[in-house]
Amino acid sequence: MPRELEVVSPRAGLMRFALSSWAALVYLFLFVPIGLLVAFSFNSNKYGTFPFTGWTTKWYGQVFGDYQIKDALTTTLRVALFVTIISTIVGTAAAFPLVRSKLRFRSAVRVGMTLPIMIPGLLIGVSLLVFLTNVFHLQLSVWTAIVGQSVYTTPFVLLIVAARLQGFDQSLERAASDLGANTFNRLRYVVLPLIAPAVFAGALFAFTLSLDEFIITLFLIGGSNTLPLYIYTQVKFGITPEVNALATLLLGASVLLIALAFLLPTAVRRARLALRTR
Amino acid sequence: MANAEVTPSVPDPPGGRKTARGLSLGRLGQYGGFLPAIVLFGLFFAAPLGLIVAYSFWQVVDYNVVHDWTLDNYRYFFSVSTYAKTFWATIWVSVAATALAIGIAFPFAYWLVRYIPKRLQKVFLILVILPFWTSYLLRVYAWLNILGPEGAINRFLHWIHLTSQPVSFFLYDRPAVILVLAYLYFPFAALTLYASLERFDWDQFKAAMDLGATPFTAVRKILLPQIRPGITTSVIFVFIPILGEYLTPQLVGGAKGVMIGNLIANFFVGAQYTRGAAAALLITALIVVLLIVFRRSLEVRDAYAP
Amino acid sequence: MSMTEGRLSRAGLLKAGAAGALGLYAAGPAAAAALRFESTTLNLLTWSDHYANDQLKAVSKLSGLQGRPTLFSDNADAYLKIKQTGSQFDIVSGDALWVPKYLKDGLTESFDLSSLPVSKQLYSLAREFPFWKDGSNYMGYPFSWSTVQIYYNPKYVTTKPDSWHALLDKKYAGKISLENIPTDMMAIAARATGGKKPYAMTKGEISRAKAYLKALKPNVQKLASQNNEVIRALADGSAWIGVTNLGSDDRVKDAGGPTVLRAYPKEGTIGFIDSEQIVKASKNKSSFEKFENTMQQAPWIAKNFLTNGRPLFNEKAYKILVNTGHGDRARRLSYNKPENALKMTIKGPAGDEQAYVDAFNEVFGA
Repeated sequence: MPRELEVVSPRAGLMRFALSSWAALVYLFLFVPIGLLVAFSFNSNKYGTFPFTGWTTKWYGQVFGDYQIKDALTTTLRVALFVTIISTIVGTAAAFPLVRSKLRFRSAVRVGMTLPIMIPGLLIGVSLLVFLTNVFHLQLSVWTAIVGQSVYTTPFVLLIVAARLQGFDQSLERAASDLGANTFNRLRYVVLPLIAPAVFAGALFAFTLSLDEFIITLFLIGGSNTLPLYIYTQVKFGITPEVNALATLLLGASVLLIALAFLLPTAVRRARLALRTR
Repeated sequence: MANAEVTPSVPDPPGGRKTARGLSLGRLGQYGGFLPAIVLFGLFFAAPLGLIVAYSFWQVVDYNVVHDWTLDNYRYFFSVSTYAKTFWATIWVSVAATALAIGIAFPFAYWLVRYIPKRLQKVFLILVILPFWTSYLLRVYAWLNILGPEGAINRFLHWIHLTSQPVSFFLYDRPAVILVLAYLYFPFAALTLYASLERFDWDQFKAAMDLGATPFTAVRKILLPQIRPGITTSVIFVFIPILGEYLTPQLVGGAKGVMIGNLIANFFVGAQYTRGAAAALLITALIVVLLIVFRRSLEVRDAYAP
Repeated sequence: MSMTEGRLSRAGLLKAGAAGALGLYAAGPAAAAALRFESTTLNLLTWSDHYANDQLKAVSKLSGLQGRPTLFSDNADAYLKIKQTGSQFDIVSGDALWVPKYLKDGLTESFDLSSLPVSKQLYSLAREFPFWKDGSNYMGYPFSWSTVQIYYNPKYVTTKPDSWHALLDKKYAGKISLENIPTDMMAIAARATGGKKPYAMTKGEISRAKAYLKALKPNVQKLASQNNEVIRALADGSAWIGVTNLGSDDRVKDAGGPTVLRAYPKEGTIGFIDSEQIVKASKNKSSFEKFENTMQQAPWIAKNFLTNGRPLFNEKAYKILVNTGHGDRARRLSYNKPENALKMTIKGPAGDEQAYVDAFNEVFGA
């Protein structure tokens, strides 16, 4: 796509330089705090602050030996997995009628379905808490937290998938229909592949949000801990660099996953090509 | 990538929405997709919210909610000036943080779209989202280590001999809250602005410059009017969530940086659910009004596709 | 990139992602099962200064009972959590007058303290707090106590602030660090202004307490969400005065901070006496005695004192401290004078919590 403009003004070079410097500053702004967080995970100062008193990897050793962290990590991933599944299914399903049906109050429905991400998380947490415990007499558990988080993450999936459906060329579907495809086949072979990136993006978004969700979980999870809750209680009573080490490890893991997401398709294609030529 | 391929070649009118006609998924299927959402949102969002509305008209006696109907909770918030004042302070902190986030994000998104090859844009975008993958709390704590009296800035100032004593000016007041909130919400601003800049038809821009417009005039007269919906979207996705923030003001704001969320949290932590419910609902009412006014901007552009 | 390729690779990615996620999910229960295999797990709702990780590990080996702590901040917080989670917790920590409230509301169970051999190690006074007696039973296992007082940095604060009113001096603007616990702050203000019952003030007393906090507000740097932040502020010099627990001087020193001194306000103060209670709905009630009997042994308690620096009720641990050369420190913090615990206003639920939070918010809002 032609995005590059030819340089027309002599000032364009200056402009480019200024904007590039700005972008560099933005990345500095974004990554200095993260850099510090990582740096303190290798600092022997046990308060996780300045000054740097020496290099150590002992906090990493502690992370691996700490069963509370293990517990919290397992719970976090389990919650995130279910939240992702629920919100992906519910959000994707709702995106279709939202975009395609002859809905009269479309924008009202849209506002309604966006509400959960707009109102304070505190309110979602507290209202579900009193509702589940007083009306259903349920005990708080991992499941109540999953439900609460899903309420919060589903609208994101919905919005992302709806955006993709809106910019969606329906002539393809019409063509499939003309060629005799039924509704299911149309969905399976035309619509789904085309919206898959958006569904995947929505799922990824839900997963990411769930991993770091704090306030709803705080009110709803009962006896278990997720990582953000664990970190909060640690921070509350004296943060140790162990938490920084944990965060660094998680960051490393996500960078690795992203890199994989970028490299894997190329690798698969190469492998497939290699197979074909043989 | 894929997003560009399926986008119709005719550009959407700004803010316009294509109503889908023609293919329905069968009469029954037309609204069937809403069913799971109705169960989830109805049972676990609307109904609890309804109960909370009832709570806001009840009372707490000895840590138990008593079903005595009263307007007391609401009357209280309007009779004590602290809440109105804190509320206004919250609004202007949110406005300032939103302006800062968008002010930082706009030139950045512009740079990304104009000067970076399409293929690499995703990589740069992912770098923006990366901080999201670390804990919110730890990111805020990192700022304590930057702004604090023993923090990075003070160390730097001392090192270049600009100051001899640590300056505590940076922390525990509203400026610190605004800065850290802008930091936390920057990715939202950057993503939404990128999405709308990415769809902008740069040929128009080029034409304007060919006709002698300076880049700034071209930005102001051609670009800004067309991407206004994108800017509104990003305002919504930054401003509204900030209204309910309470952890950041508590951690970096000090006694002078309190926002309305902190006062509400005090009620809930002290088990005063009915008062807390009324306060939270007042905020929610404002948010709903804002959402209705800007409802068109809730249509997120397809920017999140990897 | 052509459309087909893009789509195919993404589908592959989706599958790989799903497989990975399922794998992680499968690994979870396996790890949990591995843990459970060794021992019964007791879920503790507690404060972080009530245990140490190596202590839990050792106790698990000795008794086969694995304590799994969940932390909370304020008593009201824990009280509600126990109310809402039924049998998910086995043991809950609680302060002074909260303990009888738990019992009265049917959330905990009293027990025969003397049936725990380890209770012989306690000061006799701690075994007989009148407010924790339930007939011949006791409502909780006594753990630690502390007064809340003023710690100040003599470098900046030249006259000893031995009154709550000394904190109102304008020269301390923005230099006092407090904890954000509305009820307790109001109770402190009650002591400052002569309120008879700090946790059950009359309307007139509340408005006087409020006026005190209002005068104090310009001097408040931060309402810390946690005690640790107060220590940190004292350590890095950003706060000159902290209102905090006994032993904060040592913790500030440990954090690389300056010498801070203690001032006991002449109007008196508030403080906590805390305990471990049996959750009534717990399915592991029978394990409570064995668990606490292992947890509360003097060597652990002595270690706990050195880490967290506020007195505990285990007398035998005091003797260990004396024998290991920490006697001075223990005496300085009144470890050997548990009767001091009864001189302060002990923490408890507020008579009218709403009025307390209202007043607190009205002061600390914008």
